[in-house]
Amino acid sequence: MNRRNFFSGAATAVAAASVSRVALAALPEPATQSSADTAPPLHPPTGRPYNPVVTLNGWTAPWRMNAGVKEFHLVAEPVVREVAPGFMVNMWGYNGQSPGPTIEVVEGDRVRIFVTNRLPEHTTIHWHGQRLPNGMDGVGGLTQPAIQPGKTFVYEFVARRPGTFMYHPHADEMVQMAMGMMGLWITHPNVGKGATHPHIAKVQRDYAFLLNAFDVEPGSMTPKVNTMLDHNIWCWNSRVFPAISPLVARQGERVRIRVGNLTMTNHPIHLHGHEFEVTGTDGGPVPKSARWPEVTTDVAVGQMRQIELIADEPGDWALHCHKSHHTMGAMGHSVPTMIGVDHRGLVGKIQKIVPDYMVMGERGMADMGAMEMPLPDNTFPMMTGTGPFGPLEMGGMFTTLKVRADQPAGSYADPGDFKQPSGNQAYEWQGAAANTPRPVRTDTPGTAPGAASARKPATGTHQH
Amino acid sequence: MTTARRLSLLATAALLAGCASVSPDGLRGDVTALTAGRTAGVPQAALPAMAPAARAQAQQSIDHWLAQPLTQDAAVHIALLNNPGLLARLAALGVADAERVQAITLPNPHLTLGRFTTSQEREMERTLAFGLLDLITLPWRTARQAERLQIATLQTAQDVVTLAADTRRAWLRAVAAEQVAATHERMVEAAEAGAELARRMAQVGNWSRLQQAREQVVLHEATRQRARAQLAAATEREQLNRRMGLWGQQTQYQLANQLPPLPAAALPADGIEATALRERLDVQAARRQLDTQATRQGWSRAGAVFGDIGLAYSRNTTTERATGSSDIKRGWEIDLPLPLFDWGGAARTRAQAEVEQSAAQLQDTAVRARSEVRAAWLTYRTALDLARQQQAEVVPLRQLIAQETTLRYNGMLASVWDMLTEARNSTQAVANAIEAQRDFWLAETDLQLALTGTSPGALQGLTSGAAASTTPQGH
Repeated sequence: MNRRNFFSGAATAVAAASVSRVALAALPEPATQSSADTAPPLHPPTGRPYNPVVTLNGWTAPWRMNAGVKEFHLVAEPVVREVAPGFMVNMWGYNGQSPGPTIEVVEGDRVRIFVTNRLPEHTTIHWHGQRLPNGMDGVGGLTQPAIQPGKTFVYEFVARRPGTFMYHPHADEMVQMAMGMMGLWITHPNVGKGATHPHIAKVQRDYAFLLNAFDVEPGSMTPKVNTMLDHNIWCWNSRVFPAISPLVARQGERVRIRVGNLTMTNHPIHLHGHEFEVTGTDGGPVPKSARWPEVTTDVAVGQMRQIELIADEPGDWALHCHKSHHTMGAMGHSVPTMIGVDHRGLVGKIQKIVPDYMVMGERGMADMGAMEMPLPDNTFPMMTGTGPFGPLEMGGMFTTLKVRADQPAGSYADPGDFKQPSGNQAYEWQGAAANTPRPVRTDTPGTAPGAASARKPATGTHQH
Repeated sequence: MTTARRLSLLATAALLAGCASVSPDGLRGDVTALTAGRTAGVPQAALPAMAPAARAQAQQSIDHWLAQPLTQDAAVHIALLNNPGLLARLAALGVADAERVQAITLPNPHLTLGRFTTSQEREMERTLAFGLLDLITLPWRTARQAERLQIATLQTAQDVVTLAADTRRAWLRAVAAEQVAATHERMVEAAEAGAELARRMAQVGNWSRLQQAREQVVLHEATRQRARAQLAAATEREQLNRRMGLWGQQTQYQLANQLPPLPAAALPADGIEATALRERLDVQAARRQLDTQATRQGWSRAGAVFGDIGLAYSRNTTTERATGSSDIKRGWEIDLPLPLFDWGGAARTRAQAEVEQSAAQLQDTAVRARSEVRAAWLTYRTALDLARQQQAEVVPLRQLIAQETTLRYNGMLASVWDMLTEARNSTQAVANAIEAQRDFWLAETDLQLALTGTSPGALQGLTSGAAASTTPQGH
């Protein structure tokens, strides 16, 4: 963790809030983040109080109060993001990272955001989901001229409704989002001390992350910006398993998870061991009468979903996108299935031509999770991650919700692997082996039902 | 004329005739001297000797060279000693030498004897007649025949350097073809592995017949190209066998397993035209031809006007039959043609035209030599650049691609077939590098020939390379 940098940045911003009017007339010092680790929640030093969120592998932007206005400074710039240790990607982001810092404000706050463009091309920021004056909506060409490189623009509006929002460019949008430009915006409800919002519960843990995807050619560092669907790096906050921080909770705590989707496909987010309810969408809090229990909720493109659960089952519970390709690293979609192909007698022959050749896929692809084979430079493996019982064979949109009876309140420290209580874990059968008859199997391909059988007998297909 | 004077005349004639003896070694020493440093990089190559003992020794040397992997120098040595065509040319040079000697040997004098009788007398006529022109022109003719022989020697020397160059080219092609055939062997192995794996894929139902068929076609394409490469290796070797004049058991030799490495630096282009004009044997021959024609022009005038001048000495004895007293009549007779009709104009015109012809031929040869040496140098330089590019850039790049594809196979980003295809492409790049290296040495042979030997004909270096190169995919 690199909290020191973060806090030093925050401290600068806070210090600036207490200095002269001359300093206040200048641009706020932009805070920058050099770490891809999860920063601890930023408890508001000034302004209205709220319970801060924890941005997975991200951080919250510090602000300064200027005559009652919360001032933030976002710098759009090229960054190098550590998507996983040893796997660096050239991205465009804000204030040193992709995604940019989370902006946390309170319902009714007047917010002024300075946006400086250090990209090689123009940009804007669109405040996704906000009610705001049309001229602050950030659509280049439509509501404002684009921000040219080197220029700073100012956005200012009142955060009118509580909820989970996003920000992203709306100028050369496809390229800039494919390069990782995006961030979270949380507007906390404005409730007095001790009071609660009718539809927004008080939670002990409030997690937030964005879904984003990149297409990084194995052996390269920069995303291919023209890919539409065939991405190979499926991220939460520009981070992949096993590098995504776990979500931790003390047993019995109420946990909120806010998910926004800025990829170009939907993601069914699935949690093990618990049911949850969708308590909020892009449109705001869901009335209690309209909620129903689920274990998977689909987050469509451009949507936000806010789910809540009571973390009452101790253990390490998987939390992941249920599209199985989205929990994988880089893979070759055109690599043929090798299952069941007898390689006997061929290995030596191929090794004569390619000395480093090893058989893979003959029994399935699980070998990949365990084998440590040299890969191209800067390539995120298709399967990786190790748990207490072996390889997890994952990579991508996967992490865990770690529920512990003894997790201290307010502590986000990783409690480590869950100790499975005896008698509560799947175990190997020690008795006689199963003796079930195998179904009769035809080994030769047939013709499709109803197809004209003008073909030669199938035995003719395997000459020599 | 006194007896002494007569004797001295005969002695002079005999002396002149005595110069005209045949060369004991059939002029091979002269040819060897002319070809020194011009025989395709071999400093001093021996020619077939006349003596049986030397020939037996040469055969031993040939057997010795053939017992080891055959280098290009050894191939050139063997060809110059053993090529039957060259032996025929050398023999022809011996014939030309004999003809020269024949041509400058003085014609035998004519002795005419006559016996005539009348009623009174018996007359005995003895005339010793001698063609004077042959004697007068003997120094000219000796020089001319010597020059003609020199031209023939120069031509034979050109045959020697051409054979040496041809042998070297044949060796380069044979060695390269054998290496290329070996690379095709590896490509077939890769295709075989791919096709066999494809067969097993189809067997368990992972692949369709279509996918399997695609890999089978790859294998057939690879075996097709291997067959052609093996044929090329065999025919190129036969070319070399022909140059070296080998047959039977002697053709079982082993070739060297690689071509000479590329040189670190290219020969400079400075002064190549001057060198060619100074050194080339065909230019020298053309120059000699012009000299010969020019000198011939001088005496041809006299010869043409006066034709053959005859000198005869008569000693006639007349004996009176009645008395038996005899009288001897001695006398000289000179026989001169009168230039009434043929004033030698045609002969002079002919001689002049021949001089002009020779001059034009010399100029033509010189222009060709200059142009050929420039073209040969350009071909040499380009071939060197191409060979270096293939060897130092393309082959390492292909190997990198093959290695990176293997890493992608490890990451399940690429298939076994992708990997095998790149292994084949990498091997093909090696084959192309061998061919580029061969083309460079062919161009170098052409350049050396064009520089110091004779006309290399059509430049072999790059044109043949383009024709002989094979493509991996066969399309």
